[in-house]
Amino acid sequence: MVKEIERTGLPVVHVCTVTPISLTVGANRIVPAVAIPHPLGNPSLDQKEEYQLRKELVEKSLKALQTEVDKQTIFED
Amino acid sequence: MKLQLGYIEISNVEFAEKSEIKDGVLYVNQEEVINEVLQDEHLKTARLEITKPGESCRITPVKDVIQPRVKVEGRGGVFPGWMHKVDTVGSGKTHVLRGVNVVTAGKIVGFQEGIIDMSGPGADYTPFSQFNNLVLVVEPKDGIHPHQYEKAARLAGLKTATMLGELARDLKPDETEEFETVGIKEGIEKYPDLPRVGYVMMLQSQGLLHDTYVYGVDAKQSLTTMIMPTETMDGAIISGNCVSACDKNTTFHHQNNPVIAELFKLHGKSINFVGVIITNENVYLADKMRSSDWTAKLAEFLQLDGAIVSQEGFGNPDTDLIMNCKKLEEKGIKTVIITDEYAGQDGKSQSLADADPAADAVVTGGNANMVIKLPALDRIIGMTDYVNVIAGGHDGSLQADGSIEGELQMITGATNEMGFNKLSAR
Repeated sequence: MVKEIERTGLPVVHVCTVTPISLTVGANRIVPAVAIPHPLGNPSLDQKEEYQLRKELVEKSLKALQTEVDKQTIFED
Repeated sequence: MKLQLGYIEISNVEFAEKSEIKDGVLYVNQEEVINEVLQDEHLKTARLEITKPGESCRITPVKDVIQPRVKVEGRGGVFPGWMHKVDTVGSGKTHVLRGVNVVTAGKIVGFQEGIIDMSGPGADYTPFSQFNNLVLVVEPKDGIHPHQYEKAARLAGLKTATMLGELARDLKPDETEEFETVGIKEGIEKYPDLPRVGYVMMLQSQGLLHDTYVYGVDAKQSLTTMIMPTETMDGAIISGNCVSACDKNTTFHHQNNPVIAELFKLHGKSINFVGVIITNENVYLADKMRSSDWTAKLAEFLQLDGAIVSQEGFGNPDTDLIMNCKKLEEKGIKTVIITDEYAGQDGKSQSLADADPAADAVVTGGNANMVIKLPALDRIIGMTDYVNVIAGGHDGSLQADGSIEGELQMITGATNEMGFNKLSAR
């Protein structure tokens, strides 16, 4: 999916937990997610904390989307 | 640590008034077993059924397969942490009922249980068609959560196997075999010229009913550690898994690990079988990094020349597998991985979700996506109403005449990643 969308010229951020697989399949912009059963949230947090976590993930992804890369890049921070 | 296994050959199973083993026949008092199993407040019904190799019979949804054993000498009892108190097992003597297994069945998750056919083409794909099977079908009480049902079914199987194993306590084995693991120093002195080989056993530990237990403890809560190979023969590791049937390691697989059996066969001849490292397959990336680091660290500390890594399940555990392989190879330890493949129905897709050039020695258990056709069989133990949603099935898998079309995934043990199956590839 990531590769097919990029082929049309749109940049893509792959938010995923197992970043090594993302590297293997060839994503260029990779944002680490939380865990495999809950990549974009964390059920152990309360609602407010989880909202914050999710907001930060989206913001980080948007930033990654606007960042020029010349090789496969994992956006750790 | 030294363990003697005494095999009691069981050629037949019958229901009877009195539970006993006589002349190779296992007689089972149904009521006794059912009463014991129904002590569990989560279970509504339990019934036992017998099926034998060659019968036109389909068992489904299969949860686990367990071989009855009993500890007759040495510390602890079988299935420590569950059926006996936690105490180090793996030494002394254990009697094994060879030729009969307890199969637990019930619609726990539905799509993550399997099929065992006792005859026809399906029987060729599962090793469990070759045994007399005492099938325990358990149904939960209304309102019970799947994880409670899973635990109740898991314990019901272990209880039944333990009760049957006890019947062999005072019998004389038909055959015995001895397995011994010596300390590091003794091993080096005894076999100075043999390559040091270890076994890295990956345990399914993704959570949400994908769990394996070591001495009663959930493997996901443990760091990578070591276990004596003979401990596994006494049921120190048990399956609590509801995952795709073809490549889940049932409790039987842990009791009869073929990698351990083969390494023992070669031990002292062409290799020095040093020991077993057990590691997990957790769902956080940090856990995967840490567990695989720990695997490599322990292997290096044991000064292994070679390692065999077996996987359980597929998908994200492919990353654990590749990480283990890569990190072992980086330490100069020659590594062989055992896995299976999800290469698409035509076999043309990438087989694993992850890959690395370090994984240059791979044994496969077969392609789980391969499409198979199973004819209708005369008898069903369990129920087939979930077959269309089973992993490997599709809408329409269960046909009007009772036959099934779907992927090999559906069959319990078909692509086992310890190699306890017949499929592979060159």
